[in-house]
Amino acid sequence: MTPTPATRRRIRRGIDNAALYFAVAVLLAPCLFVFFWMISLSLKYDIDNTAWPPVFIPTEPTFDNFVHVFQESPMFLYFWNSVQVTGSATLVAMLLGVPAGYGIAKARAHGLAAVLLLSRMTPGLSYLIPLFALFQMMGMIGTVWPIALTHMVITLPIVTWIMIGFFETLPQELEEAARIDGATIWQAFYYVALPLARPGIVVGAILSFIYSWNNFIFGAVFAGRTTRTMPVAVYNMLTFESFAWGPLAAAAIVVMLPVMALTIVIQREIVQGLAAGGVK
Amino acid sequence: MAGADITAGVKGQGSADRRLRPYLGFIWPALVVCSAVIIFPWLFTVWMSFNDWHIGSARAWVGIENYSKLATDRRFLESIGHTIYFTVLAVFLPLVLGTFAATVFHKKFRGRGFFRTLFIMPMMATPVAVSLVWTMMFHPQLGVLNYLLSLVGLPPSLWVFAPATVIPSLALVEVWLWTPFVMIIVLGGLASLPTEPYEAALIDGASQWQMFWKITYPLVLPFIVVAAIIRTIDALKAFETIWVISNGGPGTASETLNVYLYAQAFAYNQVGTASAVVVVFFAIIVVLSLVLLWARQKAQWS
Amino acid sequence: MIDRLSLSRRRALQGATALALAAPMLNTKTAYSQSGAFNWQRFKGQSIEVVMETGPRADLVKKYLKEFEGQTGITIGLEIIPEQQARQKTTIELNSGKPSFDVFNIAYHVQKRQIEKARWLFDITAWTKDPQMTPAEYEFGDVSKPGWDYATQSDGKITSLPMFVDYFMIYINKELFAKKGVQPPKTMDEMMAAAAKLHDPANGIAGYVGRGLRNANVPLYTQYLSGWGQETTRGNPPELLTDTPDAIAAAEYYKKILSNYAPQGVSGFNWNECQGLFMQGKAAIWLDGIGFAPPAEDKTKSRVVGKVGYILPPAGPKAHHSVFFGGGAAIPDASPKKEAAYMAALWMTGRQMTSRMLQTGGGVPFRSAPLKDPAVLSQLTIPKEWADCAAGCAPISMPGLPVIVPVTQFRDTIGTALTNMLAGADPATELKRATAEFKPILDKSEQS
Repeated sequence: MTPTPATRRRIRRGIDNAALYFAVAVLLAPCLFVFFWMISLSLKYDIDNTAWPPVFIPTEPTFDNFVHVFQESPMFLYFWNSVQVTGSATLVAMLLGVPAGYGIAKARAHGLAAVLLLSRMTPGLSYLIPLFALFQMMGMIGTVWPIALTHMVITLPIVTWIMIGFFETLPQELEEAARIDGATIWQAFYYVALPLARPGIVVGAILSFIYSWNNFIFGAVFAGRTTRTMPVAVYNMLTFESFAWGPLAAAAIVVMLPVMALTIVIQREIVQGLAAGGVK
Repeated sequence: MAGADITAGVKGQGSADRRLRPYLGFIWPALVVCSAVIIFPWLFTVWMSFNDWHIGSARAWVGIENYSKLATDRRFLESIGHTIYFTVLAVFLPLVLGTFAATVFHKKFRGRGFFRTLFIMPMMATPVAVSLVWTMMFHPQLGVLNYLLSLVGLPPSLWVFAPATVIPSLALVEVWLWTPFVMIIVLGGLASLPTEPYEAALIDGASQWQMFWKITYPLVLPFIVVAAIIRTIDALKAFETIWVISNGGPGTASETLNVYLYAQAFAYNQVGTASAVVVVFFAIIVVLSLVLLWARQKAQWS
Repeated sequence: MIDRLSLSRRRALQGATALALAAPMLNTKTAYSQSGAFNWQRFKGQSIEVVMETGPRADLVKKYLKEFEGQTGITIGLEIIPEQQARQKTTIELNSGKPSFDVFNIAYHVQKRQIEKARWLFDITAWTKDPQMTPAEYEFGDVSKPGWDYATQSDGKITSLPMFVDYFMIYINKELFAKKGVQPPKTMDEMMAAAAKLHDPANGIAGYVGRGLRNANVPLYTQYLSGWGQETTRGNPPELLTDTPDAIAAAEYYKKILSNYAPQGVSGFNWNECQGLFMQGKAAIWLDGIGFAPPAEDKTKSRVVGKVGYILPPAGPKAHHSVFFGGGAAIPDASPKKEAAYMAALWMTGRQMTSRMLQTGGGVPFRSAPLKDPAVLSQLTIPKEWADCAAGCAPISMPGLPVIVPVTQFRDTIGTALTNMLAGADPATELKRATAEFKPILDKSEQS
């Protein structure tokens, strides 16, 4: 007897589901393996870390590597530096970038969008020597402000571009209705467009935070001994006379923890935002 | 830049200005901040590219000599080739995988939020830190990747320690890092799609594959192109991953423009030559971006 | 009258403190006895910034920082950065005219000529002769000639104090040698033969491991080249010798041993990949700098503790040398706290600290006394064989890199040629090409 359409649909759904979970597994496996390996490295002594065949689960796990990381450098200071730099760079990017994205989207000013993109297109390395000379003339080397300023050049274009994309897909009707009701452009922006673009704002903020927090090269050149940011501190864990895989992995984990924690917290926001974002 | 405006047409210029004026207040603060920080370095770079200056020695004006030397510099020309090869791999693969991942994670299933959080973790990783971990994993004798290969019966690879496999290996790291980024952007696009076409298609008995190609793909294309633009620019400028893992090696096999630039500026302290490289590099990025922007225009109007 | 009394009381106090401090370490003489009018405390109350390259020397300074501060009353802000970055940072900051540091680690083999030409360093010649600025027990005479050659500029001015020297030696896995009944090699031919005998890829053992990574591999190459009695440049203005028949012969040796008896992927190996393999017991012979002994003897890091042999680098067809590289402590001319900085430099390069460096295997001083001092040697934390080997390298040492301005570019150019050879290229062609490529750069750098 041939299966009924209902059964056929159920079978198809069953296959689809299985295929779906398989796809998720395939996508997640390589992604997670690297983190798993990083954690494994950080909990073993180096003699195990360079063993072959590789030791995945340590026979005698140790937190020595983490202790070593905090002993070797003032990690909390670097954390605070990173917070200052990334916080200010992200804040400015949001304050200036969201309106800019809105304005460019509404005015369809692609030329200006491209100008903002220019700063992202410039190789970061080319800023270093002239800006270093400039900041030194202004006596700012040794503070966190040069780093924050150069980070803004990274974060501002990101936020603007994300927001352009989001604002462009928003339909005009709601704002036009508000304008007809007598609202100014700013009010239409603030009360109508902004709440609708919440998922975009969240995404923009997260991306801005990530790029700034993880940036290495500006911190490496502009930072002094007390103003170093965390990624620079990780790189400096390369010790001279040994592999130091364990401490390196531990330092890497320590650097990434804040961003990871933030993601987990914000992830719910993204989910809610994306679910509510459908214009229905 | 003029490119996009050209497509808008001369007739549109007047209305473009009128459209822009009320929104100028939204835009100029961001423009000012960005320009202020980059104008001085740009002027310096362009001026310095006509000079020859090795840090510690005297500076001398040499006109276009830096550029003419670059045109015949084997190492520089090869670095352009490496850059293109690397960029193609590092853009195309995340686009495909990221779009696929977006469609998967767009579907409702149990634990979706949790799995999605896991999937975007590589994007959060500090590139410098993770690159160091990847270097360890790439080790031909002691690294875990060759071990995994041996588990499935494949011969060990030399990964970043051989000229033939170094660029694909580095691209692999980039794919790992940035596929979630593409996924997020495309996911955002998917979330804003209307559901009616899907409902209708399901009633008509369409398969997943058909629904994707006929409905999803065209509607989400603008987002994919946005992701492509940002990915291309980032891949062209990729530095930390390559520098930390292979430093342009073995030899100069993975030396991209940015790594070559670093060598000239910071290792050899040849600021004049480095500035000329920056100008050429930037020109390449601009050309590629214009191409992609034009593609974006086409995708939007289709 | 009163002065002499207080002098002797101060001397007694100093002597007592010095004895207490000296007790755990080396000398039978007190290290800080006062001499004439020299006073460690003369510039107390100041604070200076010190930049050092990541490594055992920096670790040592960090460990004994409090001792210095107690002794002189000068506080140090110590910044430790990885080697490449440190060199770039110091170059950029020195060039800007306002460096953020008062003392830094100068890597002679890379930076000497560039810094010398740019005249960024403070001339300390006068101070080295001034008994008020330099204590007699600093023992200038003890520092070897290569050290003073490094520290003295071509115009005769002394602009830094030599701190440590790195020779090249061979690390062998005694267990692997014993298993196959191979004798430790004394010549390059013997080393090649030993590597061939011990090479066992089926069991994951490589006969030989060495640097193949561009730039890092040049010191290894110059070590081989020294076996033909040749350096890479000659004369002043320097003339490139990297395409002579001897240079090509050395490159052929480099290619042969690394292509045939080294692990796969060696063309991307820097010292840390080599070291990792050796410490896991997977390589029988490793020719590299002397500073890598401590982790090999560390139980938490190495599987070959107690099985490592330290022997002199092999003799070549025409000569027997060990290439050397070195570092010192230098003071920028723009520093506003030169005197306090000089105190720090004296301490870092003085007999006490450099002896400690020797004891931990963190490096070899340019001084010869610590190498002969039984008190120092009795406190070695690594096998005495290492110290004997280092002492044996000194008389046969030869500079490992040319004293030119564009050293890094030289290392990149020749290094790329060497790495290409490992991928199959012909040594003669590659060296000739690299020499032709580098020659204009070298000539230009000598002009300005």
